[in-house]
Order: sequence, then structure tokens, then C-alpha cells
Amino acid sequence: MLLVLPALVLLLPFLAAVLFVLRYSVSGESQAIAGWSLAHYQALLEPFFLRSVGLTLKLATLSTVLCMLLAVPIAMLMAAVAQPLWRRVMTSLVLLPMILNLLIQSYGWMMVLGPTGAANSLLLKAGLIEQPVQMLFNEFGVLIGLVQTTLPLAVFPVLGSMRVMSQDYLEAAGTLGATPWRSFFDITLPLLKPGLISAASIVFAFNASAFAIPLLLGGRRVQMMGVAIRDMISPLFDWAGASAAGVALILITLVTMAAATWLTTHAVQLKEVR
Amino acid sequence: MSASLWSRTSSGSFRAVMLALAGLGLVVAALPVLVIVVMSFSGDGSLAFPPRSLSLRWYGAALDVLFGGDSDSATSAFESMATSFTVGAITMCATTMACVPLAYALVRRGGRWRQWVELLFTLPLVFPLVVLGVAYLLLSETLTRQTGSELGLLRLAIPHIVLALPFVLRNCLSAMHGVGRDLEEAAMSLGASPLRAAIDVVVPLMKPGILAGLIFAFIISFNEFTISFFMYTIDVRTLPIWMYSRTVSSLDPTTLAISTLIIALDVALITWVDKIVAGKGSLF
Repeated sequence: MLLVLPALVLLLPFLAAVLFVLRYSVSGESQAIAGWSLAHYQALLEPFFLRSVGLTLKLATLSTVLCMLLAVPIAMLMAAVAQPLWRRVMTSLVLLPMILNLLIQSYGWMMVLGPTGAANSLLLKAGLIEQPVQMLFNEFGVLIGLVQTTLPLAVFPVLGSMRVMSQDYLEAAGTLGATPWRSFFDITLPLLKPGLISAASIVFAFNASAFAIPLLLGGRRVQMMGVAIRDMISPLFDWAGASAAGVALILITLVTMAAATWLTTHAVQLKEVR
Repeated sequence: MSASLWSRTSSGSFRAVMLALAGLGLVVAALPVLVIVVMSFSGDGSLAFPPRSLSLRWYGAALDVLFGGDSDSATSAFESMATSFTVGAITMCATTMACVPLAYALVRRGGRWRQWVELLFTLPLVFPLVVLGVAYLLLSETLTRQTGSELGLLRLAIPHIVLALPFVLRNCLSAMHGVGRDLEEAAMSLGASPLRAAIDVVVPLMKPGILAGLIFAFIISFNEFTISFFMYTIDVRTLPIWMYSRTVSSLDPTTLAISTLIIALDVALITWVDKIVAGKGSLF
């Protein structure tokens, strides 16, 4: 028991902080814990916050779809590469977004997407556009940032389930004359399904609760829930309101994760029955 | 499928589409970092890409900002860099000192408790960082209001420790798995007390995992932005927060040079971990 104690002591502030948020969210006053009231949850039903919830769900869904669209081919490539050097190069390329500071990565996107940035000068030179396109401080910029920062969260689980996947079915399908497209959609994707669902749910949960990327790449114009919660704290000093909004955000992520877990166990059970 | 992705005989369209998507994904993943590194060597003052000339002048400016200048004022870059390193060091030491005994207890005597304890310590990763930021802010504000005491550097260290705990624990656990019970028992049969056996036999054998955990803890603390953004005060701010307040109106090449230095430090540390654990380290 003595061996477990130091770690529990370190975890204690976290547990206390979580209880604090829960208690604050049903407090009667907005800047102190006093009395009980559900007024702060009721206030979340105002159009301002509902718009923010809608935007959060929209961007999280879009970024999850794009992320998975890129992650599956990357995982296939990584599973196919045999040389240790190339494998290591690719692993570190994919890991990079996860390790580095979100602030610094946003600086990078500002220089890629900005009016004089790499993307605009490339498009101008190619003659595809006549004047710089606004790609920063709107939903597009935030979406790109979300996809990039969560790519490793999608690639590694998919790669994991790809490594344990049996190649026999694919070879059999190949000898029977199935095209690569057909065996991809009829064999690879169904076999990867549990891994895909759990990876997608992690990406969704992370992007729904994103803060740094919408703050830095969206400016004040893209009010995802994270940014809205921060605004309740800082200019408005509505602590209880921010707590209630935070609990709502936790619920959104937990429901997604739970649904994904249910879906994966369900999918696995179905496979076993067959 | 690996075969179908590479073999030349397979129909071209599948291979082309998959390779194009994978290539696009890898470019997207690395693009921001590449652009920062290239731009930090730019010779001109504007941030137009690509730069017209190359120079090291922004690194001179960056070192001047970090180490020259007025290091007395609390808002200086040097002060915030020192805070970042101190908080990182506190996070490293605290998490490792807590996780080594915990990993020992879980592997040797954990039984069916083990998975629940592991789950408990992974819990902070499920919580949105914004909510954690709000939670710690409310907690520390209330504490200050009731007792009048300021937390100082601990304002940032306490949340960073919780974020790093799961990663350090996982590394210590996988290191502990490699330590057989027989060596410890041999030491004890030769007359060592259980404590001596643990300190002299088990801990040295866990060394690679412990080191990897220490480095991960530092990387996590050093790169943390969201919670620090809620918790910082005029006196206590980390390097990323200092960079944010400097660039809130516009980005300048000096900040990019500092960013490149941080990227270099991160990459060096990760390469070091990779060497220590030889591919067995677990960030996930």
C-alpha cells in the first residue's frame, strides 16, 4: 500500500479538480460554490452556445472523416515497408504532430495558409487563382489543423489492427481474380472495422474538445466549444457557466467513446457468431 | 494487402490512389514543421514563402532575446524559459518517483486490481484539456481565496504531472515486466532485505524504462500549451505562453527561430528515447 501512496497523492488534485467542476456546474452563484441550481445548464440552451455545439460537431465529424481517409493508406504503406530505415522515417514523420507543441505547429500552418503563404503562392503561380484566398482564421484553416494534429491518433491503432490481420483472405481473393479495389472494400475494410471504429472515436473525441488549434487558426471567428468555454472564463468570469459547458463537452466525448466501444464489441461478436 | 500495394502487376488505379493519399497524409503531417524550419533560416524580414535569401540572422536575434536582454523582469523570455525547464524537471522527478514503486507493486502484487489502477491513471487523458484547465483554475483560485497562499510554480507542475503520469507509468510497467522474480529472490536468499533487493537489483534493471519515462515526462511538460494557458499568471509563465503573448498580434521570424530550437530539442530527446528502449518504448 505504501508503494501506491505517492502516485495516488499526485493524482489527488486531478480528482479534486474534476469534482470541483461538477459541483460548480450546479452552483447557485456564478463565481462561488453556493446553493444548488440548474440555471447554468439551462443557459447552455441559448442560441449562442447551441451554435458552438453545432460547429464543434460539424468540424469534429469532418476532420474525423478526412483523418481516416488519410490514415488508412498511410497505415497500409507503413505495414508494407520492410526496410527498417524507411519504416523509422515514416514512423517519426507520423509521430511528429503528436509530440510537438500545438502552438508551434499552428505557426507552421499560419505560414502555409496565410495570404502570402506557401499554399497561396503555389496556387497563384499555377494560375489557378488570381488573388490570394482566405484560408486562415476561418473553418477551413481549423479543419486542416485538426486533421493534421490528430493523424497519429488514427494511424497507429489502424496500423496495429492491420499487422494482426491475416493476409490469407486477400491472397485467396487475388487468386480468384478480385480486383484490388474489390478486395479492399470487401475484405480489408470489414476486417479492420473494429480498429477503424475505435481510432475514429478517439480522433472525434480529441477534435471535439480541441482548444489550441481553433484558438490559433480560427481566431475569434470559429467558436468551437473549447474556445467558447475559455471565453466564459476569461472576459466573462462566468465560472459556473464554463463548468456546465465543460460537463456538456465531457458528455459529448464520453458518449462517442461509449458508442464506439459498443459498436466494436458488437462487430467482434457478430464475427464470432459467423 | 501489402503485396497488392506494391506488386507491379496489380491494377494501377488502386495502387496509385492509395500511394497518393498516403503521400498527401505524410506531407500534411510534416508540413508545418518543415515550413517553420525553412522560414527560420530566411534572410528577409517578411514571412512570404518561399524565402528569397537564407541567413542565420534570426537565430542571432533569438539567442539575444532568450539570453541577452533584461533577464530581471518577470515577463522576460529567459525567465519563462527557466520556468519551463524547472516545471519540466519537477514533473520528471515527481512522476518517476511515484511510478517506479507503483509499477513494482502492480506487477508483483497487483492481481486483479491492476487493470483498474491503470485505468484510473489513464483517466486524465480522456478529459478534454480545456475542462482540465477550467478545473485546475477553479481549484487554485478557491485555494488562494480561502487560505491566501499562492502555489507558485506548482500551479503549472501539478497539472503537468497528471498529464505525464499515464505515459511514465506505462514505461515503468513495461520495464518492470522485463525484471524476473528470480534475480530478486536470489538477492534475498543471499541475505538482502526486500527493500535492498528492490533498490539494488530491480531498479537498475528497470533503468531503460525509467529513463524513457523521465524523458517523456519532460517532453509532455515542456510542450504543454492548453492547461498552461488557463493557469499562467504574470509571474509564472512557460516558454510557449511567452511565445503566444509575443505573437498574439503578428508572427515574427525570431519566434520561428526559437520554435526551431524547441523542435530540435524535442527531436533530439525522442531520438534518445528511441535509442534507449530500442523500439520497445510505448508512447501509446
